[in-house]
Amino acid sequence: MSTVTSPASVDRELAAIVGSGNVRRTDFEINGVVPAAVVYPGSADEVGAILHLANARDLVVAPAGGLTKQQIGCVPERIDILLSTTRLNKVEEYDPGDLTIAVQAGMPFAEMQRQLGEHQQWVPCDASSLEHATVGGLLATGAAGPLKSTFGHMRDFCIGIQFVTADGKVVKGGGRVVKNVAGYDLMKLLTGSYGSLAVITRANFKVFPSPRQTRTFACSFHSLEEALQFRTRLFQSPLTPMCMEIISPGASEYLRNQGTVRDPDHYSPEQPVSLPAVEWQIVLRATGSDNILGRYSRELGSAVTRMLEGTAEEEFWGWICHFEQSVLARHRNAMVLYTHLAIQNVGPALQAMQRVAPDYNMIPAAVGRAATGNLVLALMPLSVDPPSAMQYANCVSALRGMLPPGSSAEVAHCPTEAKPHFDVWGTTPTDVNMMRAVKRAIDPKNILNRGRFIV
Amino acid sequence: MDSSIIRQLRKIAGKDAVLDRPEELMLYEYDAGVDKHRPGAVVFAQTTQQVSQVMRLASDKKIPVVPRGAGTGLSGGAIARREAIVLSLARMNKILEIDVANQRAVVQPGVVNLELSNATTKFGYYYAPDPSSQKACTIGGNVAENSGGPHTLALGVTVNHVTGLEVVLPDGKVIELGGKAQDSTGLDLTGFFVGSEGTMGVVTRITVKLTKLPEHVTTLLAIYNTVEDAANTVVAITQSGVTPAALEMLDGWMVRCVEANVHAGYPEDAAAVLLIELEGMRETVNEQAEAVSAVCMQQKAREVRHAKDEKQRQLLWLGRKTAFGAVGRVSPSYYTQDGVIPRTKVPYTLAEIERISKHYGLVIGNVFHAGDGNLHPLILFDSRDPKQTENSRRAAKEIMACCLKFGGSITGEHGVGLEKMGLMTAMFTEDDLEVMVRLRNAFNPESILNPQKMIPDLHFCREITGPLPKAKFEPVAGLPV
Repeated sequence: MSTVTSPASVDRELAAIVGSGNVRRTDFEINGVVPAAVVYPGSADEVGAILHLANARDLVVAPAGGLTKQQIGCVPERIDILLSTTRLNKVEEYDPGDLTIAVQAGMPFAEMQRQLGEHQQWVPCDASSLEHATVGGLLATGAAGPLKSTFGHMRDFCIGIQFVTADGKVVKGGGRVVKNVAGYDLMKLLTGSYGSLAVITRANFKVFPSPRQTRTFACSFHSLEEALQFRTRLFQSPLTPMCMEIISPGASEYLRNQGTVRDPDHYSPEQPVSLPAVEWQIVLRATGSDNILGRYSRELGSAVTRMLEGTAEEEFWGWICHFEQSVLARHRNAMVLYTHLAIQNVGPALQAMQRVAPDYNMIPAAVGRAATGNLVLALMPLSVDPPSAMQYANCVSALRGMLPPGSSAEVAHCPTEAKPHFDVWGTTPTDVNMMRAVKRAIDPKNILNRGRFIV
Repeated sequence: MDSSIIRQLRKIAGKDAVLDRPEELMLYEYDAGVDKHRPGAVVFAQTTQQVSQVMRLASDKKIPVVPRGAGTGLSGGAIARREAIVLSLARMNKILEIDVANQRAVVQPGVVNLELSNATTKFGYYYAPDPSSQKACTIGGNVAENSGGPHTLALGVTVNHVTGLEVVLPDGKVIELGGKAQDSTGLDLTGFFVGSEGTMGVVTRITVKLTKLPEHVTTLLAIYNTVEDAANTVVAITQSGVTPAALEMLDGWMVRCVEANVHAGYPEDAAAVLLIELEGMRETVNEQAEAVSAVCMQQKAREVRHAKDEKQRQLLWLGRKTAFGAVGRVSPSYYTQDGVIPRTKVPYTLAEIERISKHYGLVIGNVFHAGDGNLHPLILFDSRDPKQTENSRRAAKEIMACCLKFGGSITGEHGVGLEKMGLMTAMFTEDDLEVMVRLRNAFNPESILNPQKMIPDLHFCREITGPLPKAKFEPVAGLPV
C-alpha cells in the first residue's frame, strides 16, 4: 500500500475552491493506492478550478462517483486528488411530457430512476450496484445489464453532456432534444472513457415509458450447443424479448439468495452450498399485455422450464445484475472479465472459458447477454494452493488466445497483486494509437486517471 | 488545378477516374442544399489503397480533400469550399458481406442505403436507418452525417446501427474502429466518428447492424381540421407509452402539394395529417393501433384511416417520401430547414413558423418527423428574386432562433456542413468549439480533410448577427484563425 501526502499548500488551495469542509482525507484504496485528498466540489465551475489547479501542478486526479467501479483498471502510480461528484446530485430539469431529464453527474442512478418512476418512466439501464452508482459513474464506465439487449447502453440514451476538461474548461456536447447532430458526438466519446478524458458533471437523457407488465421464461438445456441452437430459433422467430441472458452451469450457484456470506478466505467453491447445476440456461424477459405474454408461452412451449412473475421475477433479475458482486462477495480472489463479442462468438468464448479454467485451477461461471455478446465471465481459483499472480496472467492469456479475432475481453476484477503481470485491458479491434491521440488532445498532461485506463 | 496533381491522381485511380474539365466539374459544385462551389478535380477511388494514396498526395501538397458520396446532403458537407479535390466514394459500391448469423453486413461506403435493405430482406433482415433520400444516398454519406429518417424514432439513427469502420486518416494511414461486436474495449471511437461530417477521416468500409423484419406493420393516417390538434396529438402519443416506429406530420399545404404529385390518398381539405407507423409482433401492433387511434380521436382527429393492405401502406409512404420532390414542382426554389425542438413544443413552434411565414410573405410548408420533434420547414422562394432569396434566409434564421429558444438544436439529421456553421456559436460556447477543434485535430491536424466545415473559424463567429443570441467571443491562443 502506498500513500501520498499532498503538500499542505495544495490542501489550502483546494479548500479555497470548495471550502475546507469539502477537502478530506480518506482510507479508501484504489488497487492499494490511497488518494492523498478527497475533494467534494459543489458546482461544475468548482470542478473546473480544481482541475485547473491540478493541471498546473501536475497532480493526478481520479474522478469518482459512488465508488462501485473504482477497482477496475491498472494499478495507478499515485492519486493526488479523488474528485468526488457526490455533491452534484440534483435533477436540473425533468419534463415528463418531453421524456427527457437533465441531472447532475453525482446523482445516484436509483434516485433518478425513482423520480422517473413516479411518471411511469425509466432509463432502461440495469447495471449492477445501482443504489450506490452515480449517473456520471455509469456513463464513465459504460455500464449495462441485461436490458442492453434491447435498449443499448448509456451512450444510447445520453443526449447531452457537460464535462470539465483537464485544463479546467467547462464544456458541453449535444443538447436536450432526442435528435441532434450539431457538433461532434461527445456523449459517445465520454461514455466508457473511465474518467480518462474529462470529468462528467451533468448529463441529459432521453427516457422511456416503463413496461407495465413483464414475464420471465427460463429454458434449460443439457449443453451449450443446444442452448445456442435455441437462441438461433429465437432470432428467427417473431418474438422480441426485452432481455435474453445465457447462464452457464457454474453460475446458478450465484443466482440465489446468499444468506450469510461466509468468510471469503475459507469458502471453497468446489463445495458449493447446493448441488452443482449441469444445465445451461437461456432466460428471456418479455413485456406486453396478457395476450402478448400468452403468445410467448405458446411459442416457447415445452422449452420453458420455469416461468417467473412479480416479486420472484424482480428478485431473479436482481441476482443476474448482481452476479459479479455475488461472486466477489464469496471469493475475494475471483477474476471477472467483461467480453465484447460478435453474436456467433458467444459460444466459442464460453467454450474457451470452460476449457481453460481447469488448466489453471479455476472454476468457471458466466452470465451474459446472449444477443449482444456482452458476457460477464467469473473464474474462481480453487483453494488447493494460495493463488499466484502468474496463475491469473496465464489464465487470461490462454483465454484471450482462444477468443475469435475481433473479440475483446477486459479484466474487471482480480487481486491487485496479479495486475502488474498482465494487460488488464487486453487487445481491442479499435486503433489504440488513435485512442491515445484523442486522450492527448484533451488531457495533454495526462492528469486524469493516469495509468489506469487503456489510454 | 495543377496538371501534375491531375497526372498523379490519374496514376493512382486510373485514367477514367479523374475529372478536371470545367463542364465535368460543374456537376460536382453542389449538393441537395443551397451552396455552390466548384472543385479543382474529382477523383473516383475504387479501393482503400487508392483512398490512402490520394490522401497521402493531398497531405504532401497541402491540397484540401472533400469526401463525397451521392451528393444528396442538405448542408453543403460534400461541397469543396475552395480549390480542392473531391474524393468520390461512389464507385466503392460493393456489399462485401451479409453475415446473417451475426446480424451484420459489411459494405463499402458507396453502397446505396436502400440497396442494402433490398439485398437483406430475403434473409428476414433490413438496414433500419431510412433517410428520405434512401434510393440515392450512400451509407458512407449516412455515416458522415449520422443520418436519420422517419423510422429512426423507435430504432435510432445511423450511429445506433454502425459497429465497425475502416478509416483512412488525412496522412493516408488506414485504421480500424470497432468491428462486428456490439462494442469493444476502450474508447468508443466508432460512435464518436459517426456524424463527424468528413472532418476526421475517409470511411472506406462499414460494418452495420441488420435489423429483423417485424412480423407485422401497420400504418395509420390521422386527419385533422387544425394544425394545432395534430401537434397536440404528437405530444399525447409520446406520453401514452406507445413508441411508434414512425410518427410523421404534413401540414395542409404539403398535403395538397403531395396529392398533386403522386395521389397518395391524403384528403386535400385537411389542415394537417399524421402518418403513424406501428411495427412488431402482431398482437403488439394491433393493441398499439387501437390505443393510438383512441388518442388521435381524443385530440379531435376528424378521421383515422388504417392502410387496408401493403399497397395502400406503400402509397401513404410514397406521399411522405416524395414530399420534397413535390415541392420542386410548384416552386422554383425551396430552402429545407432541419431544426429540433422538445416534443411538447411542437404546437408553439408551428404557430411561430406560421407567423414567420406571414411576416415575410413566403409560403412555408411543413413535413417532418414529429415524434422526434425534428422539423423540416420548407421555405419556398424564387431564387431569381434577390429580395425573396434574402427573405428566405432571414426566415430560416428566425425559425432556427425559435428552435434554440426552446432548448432545441439547429440540426437533427442534415448536419452542420457549410450551411449551419455560422449558427454553431448560438448553440455552443467558444470553449465547447475549441474542444471540438482539438479533438478534430487528433485525426485531422492540418485540416486537409473537409476544411472550414462544421466548426466555424473563430474569426467567423464575430460576424454572427441577426436575431440569434450572440456568443461571447474571445480569441483562443493556439487555435488556427
